[in-house]
Amino acid sequence: MQHALILLGVLIAGMGLSVEAGLLGPLGEQVGHLSATLSIFMVGALLLSLALLFSPKRKLGALFKQPRWLLTGGVMGPMYVIVLTLATPLVGVGMTMVGILCGQVAASLAIDHFGWLGSERRQVDGYRLGALAMILAALWLM
Amino acid sequence: MLLPIVFALLLAGGAVLAAQSSINGRLGAHTGVLESAWLTFAVGAVLTFLLVLFFEPQHEATLFSVPKWQLTGALFGVVYMLAIVFAVPRVGTAAATVSVISGQLLMSLLIDHFGWLNNAERALDGSRYVAMVLLLLAIVLIYLSHRRSAHPAN
Repeated sequence: MQHALILLGVLIAGMGLSVEAGLLGPLGEQVGHLSATLSIFMVGALLLSLALLFSPKRKLGALFKQPRWLLTGGVMGPMYVIVLTLATPLVGVGMTMVGILCGQVAASLAIDHFGWLGSERRQVDGYRLGALAMILAALWLM
Repeated sequence: MLLPIVFALLLAGGAVLAAQSSINGRLGAHTGVLESAWLTFAVGAVLTFLLVLFFEPQHEATLFSVPKWQLTGALFGVVYMLAIVFAVPRVGTAAATVSVISGQLLMSLLIDHFGWLNNAERALDGSRYVAMVLLLLAIVLIYLSHRRSAHPAN
């Protein structure tokens, strides 16, 4: 039951991401795609800094005791944006979306299956392949 | 010749997103959800600032001159990052990724249907309704997969 609630929460967060993309596209046309991305990261970083400052239990120091590769999550957002900006004018939005989503779902299944990046192992099974097939079919229908 | 290279690049771009969820989730489990999300945005802001400084061509408008509501996308980005960092250690990278993607696609169908955010209206038709059902089914399947591995006896 708890897992169903978590999945629902993530689904709603994903809906928010589409709104973000809907705002970001036109903004990028006006001020440039890198600047539009900067607005997201900068406003986000500032808001979260304030939230951290006033959160009851903050463990910011713990960040610096982690292995360095665990701190690279922030490098990947900008990498994704660069790929997006390079690819969209060449192959169009539709093809770009399909390519990104395929890579995303396939990699997430592989990460769970092999336990990469220190994650808990979760085998690929019929259900998971079914979910992958549903997403691909939905993409094709849209 | 160009096409395979671009497509490989796109697959890598998607894979990077999945890796990001996984890494941030792991980090969040050690240091806290807020700390992990903060680091992602802080590092992202520093890198994108450098990219803008050196590579962004000149534009008529700037971030300071556009209407302020166009800058509210970050709110959704922050909520997304917090949700991912919380969810990944609990349900795994694949389940979180499938839920996010389903949410994104469902919302983009709704945005098209109602023409929200100044987009052209594209009404839901038969195939788009089927697409919505498939996306919801994908989440149900991921949930079932999790249930089965949690209770092997069933």
